[in-house]
Amino acid sequence: MASVFRAIFGYLFLILMVRVVGRRPGKQITPFEFILIFFLGGLTLTGIVGDEVSLTSAFCQIVAIACCHYGIVWLRTKSPRTARLFDGTPLVLLEQGQWRTRTMEQMRMQESDLMAMVRDQGMKTIGDVGAAVLERNGEISLIEKEK
Amino acid sequence: MPGVETKPVEDLGHRVDDAISVGEDLEFQERWWKFENAVWMFFALLLVLDLLGVFGRGWAAKSEASSGDGAVQLKYERIERTMTPSEMQVSFGPGAAVDGKYKLYVSGSVVQELGNQRIAPQPETSAVGEGGITYTFPALGQPAVVSFSLEPASPGVYHFSLGVPGGTMMTRRVVVVP
Repeated sequence: MASVFRAIFGYLFLILMVRVVGRRPGKQITPFEFILIFFLGGLTLTGIVGDEVSLTSAFCQIVAIACCHYGIVWLRTKSPRTARLFDGTPLVLLEQGQWRTRTMEQMRMQESDLMAMVRDQGMKTIGDVGAAVLERNGEISLIEKEK
Repeated sequence: MPGVETKPVEDLGHRVDDAISVGEDLEFQERWWKFENAVWMFFALLLVLDLLGVFGRGWAAKSEASSGDGAVQLKYERIERTMTPSEMQVSFGPGAAVDGKYKLYVSGSVVQELGNQRIAPQPETSAVGEGGITYTFPALGQPAVVSFSLEPASPGVYHFSLGVPGGTMMTRRVVVVP
């Protein structure tokens, strides 16, 4: 039974860690972030599994995580406050030719991160961007400046 | 469309360039950033405490004790980690040998709660009773040290006693963290 609680704790702890470590644009995961993801997962796994390597234990842990995940997803759809807590809110990074410096700094993003997205979306310069929004799923939406 | 539930579409809030509705909530985000900073400070504190051994496997976790009659000295970890090996050393004092043998009583909690895996050197005899085990080791001279390899199976606060039978017993507490 303890293994189920360990699995739920590990799941919630990883959610907190990923939420606190920061939201990065999905298309811009650097090798550092790949290492972070695998490392966090691997380290959590050792503590969760412990010496209980039976199939029953794995099955119960998977079911526990599935139930936990379902519960959180259900809460997110029912309560905007919970959704905001788990996913954050969209954040404007650039609007009307002005960087939102505090947002960029707090989200540990650099202008070069945004430039990569600008090129990715076929725009030539940052001047072509009317607004940039860091979405809740980590993607950056770019809105072309009206000409 | 009869039977289909609907509700009016609402604007989610902040608008950019008076054209795009974003739904940004900077007030919440500012509170979240404050929470994040507090979490980072908490993480830093955790790391420092861990390096000091407050959660076991470090300087703060190690402890020493001696029985009142000086028959045995004990080196152990007062903070242990679940399923993590550690060593408890018992040193016999010069006057502890009787008839060329050292005898050592340890309470059952050393085997059960603290998960004793093995003893080095192997005792000549083991006798069970009085809530514990009495081991006998052949005495050749000083120094005489017996090591217990511990590996607690579950977290908790446990007490154990040990000493030379007939002498002063010492009781110690071990905190096993998850």
